[in-house]
Amino acid sequence: MLEVKNFSIASKENDLILLDNINFKVQKGEIHCILGKNGSGKTTVAYSIMGLDRYGKKEGKILFEGEDITNLEPYERAKKGITIAFQEPARFEGLRVCDFLRAGKKDATKTQMEKALDIVGLDPADFIDRSLDDKLSGGERKRIELASVMIMKPKLMILDEPDASLDIIVYNELYDIMLRMKEELGCSILLITHREEAGLIASGATLISKGKVMATGPFRCVMRKYCTSEGKRDRCIAFKKGTFSKPILIDSKK
Amino acid sequence: MTKISKDFIKTAKLCGIDHGLEQKGHFYVEKNKIVSEQMPKGIISQTRETIGGVVAEIIVQEGVKIKEPLFFCFGMKGKNDKQMIETRLILEEGAEIEILAHCSFPNAYKATHKMEAKYKIGKNAKLVYKEHHYHGTSSGILVMPKFKVEIGEGGVFMSDFVLSKGSVGQVGIEVEIELQKDAKSEINSKVFGKSEKDSISIIDKVTLRGDNSKSLVTMRAAAKDGGRVFMQGETYAFGANSVGHIDCQEIVSGEGSVAKAVPIVEVSNDEARITHEASVGKINQKELETLMTRGMNEEEATELIIEAMMR
Repeated sequence: MLEVKNFSIASKENDLILLDNINFKVQKGEIHCILGKNGSGKTTVAYSIMGLDRYGKKEGKILFEGEDITNLEPYERAKKGITIAFQEPARFEGLRVCDFLRAGKKDATKTQMEKALDIVGLDPADFIDRSLDDKLSGGERKRIELASVMIMKPKLMILDEPDASLDIIVYNELYDIMLRMKEELGCSILLITHREEAGLIASGATLISKGKVMATGPFRCVMRKYCTSEGKRDRCIAFKKGTFSKPILIDSKK
Repeated sequence: MTKISKDFIKTAKLCGIDHGLEQKGHFYVEKNKIVSEQMPKGIISQTRETIGGVVAEIIVQEGVKIKEPLFFCFGMKGKNDKQMIETRLILEEGAEIEILAHCSFPNAYKATHKMEAKYKIGKNAKLVYKEHHYHGTSSGILVMPKFKVEIGEGGVFMSDFVLSKGSVGQVGIEVEIELQKDAKSEINSKVFGKSEKDSISIIDKVTLRGDNSKSLVTMRAAAKDGGRVFMQGETYAFGANSVGHIDCQEIVSGEGSVAKAVPIVEVSNDEARITHEASVGKINQKELETLMTRGMNEEEATELIIEAMMR
């Protein structure tokens, strides 16, 4: 579905190489993680796929369903079925949740909006007319972000660290939400994360370090490489045994 | 009561009045002629037409709390009409009222609307004043309203001024508010200049005279395609524990557009505090990018962001 081919991109300000000849694929219906430490280039990968105008010179190609989208504007990519949920979603003065949801789907019905909010764990009656401003908590705003990408029924949903700054109970629920979204839409998810627990839901992964791809393939293999490179031997053993290869329900009472 | 003409109803509806115009408490003026007046019980009014305009003196009597809003509509149908409105409003102690004022000038080409309003809000009285304007589409009007508001002990004044539909023309608004002990005021202005013919100046001046008085000045403006916006929020604190805040946001979009914000804060009491924040410039990039990733092009996204801010 998505192929990033020999792709490099530089900083707008000083031509510093941010992504260096990266290659990876996301298959149809797959949850694929982009793994890596802070500053490794994960978010740059996400923004490059979305086509956000933040970078300078680029080389290589981004192919979506076989079509070269490297030079398309973000809204053109969105119309082709790619969208992104931002790590720190924007706040909009005066914009209600229903207006924001309709920004992604002009003809969204109230029922469709209610369903999207319900799936992300928000009571539609409480939120559909709420303003998308600073009065919402960070967690509420993140859930609305997920609902807004979901209502677009994208083919590829990029989720930029939706699990950042969340505690273990909440991100367990978040992974459940992602599975429900994937099930509902039949879409692919590109999940930007540095949490190894993402292996509960992901099948593929790409490991990025200093703007380069260190490994790409099945999640367990990539995670093993990640753990080895990080010196986390215990985790490494766990992955070898495959304990993270299938969903594990985390007991919130413990 | 005069029968309200269909023309006037059409003019008023353009500005947002959508109820049966004859049903509620109201004061309607067409150019310099009083079209209709109906005051609820507990209000004493004296209105008259003068050579150049209309004068209205309205008193809400002590302790009277009017539940339904009182509607003002000042309309002009002609292209080159001139209108001068003088209002004197007194809220006696404990009185409460909400006034929805609509100014509708749909055909203005070289028209002028001037207003001088003096409001006196008594002890523990409350006035909510909302003013919505519609100036047609040719940017051919000069609008100069001046408000002077005195708020007595424990009194409350809340006002909204909105001019976001149609064109603006030339608008110069001056608001001067003085608050006594424990009094509160909140004033919001939202104006959208859409072309080089649109020029807006808003000066909101608040004096926190009494102890524990509080004020919030919120200003929102957008200048697009050559529009010019100037907003000046002034707050002066004299009373102990008086608190004031000025919040100004202006968006500039398109070539030739200019936005300017001037906050002035002055504190003469070491137990008082005033804060201000201002943001002037292009559309927030993060907001723009978010909407573009939802499938809107830059123009559509800009429109939605400004429209939302102007609500």
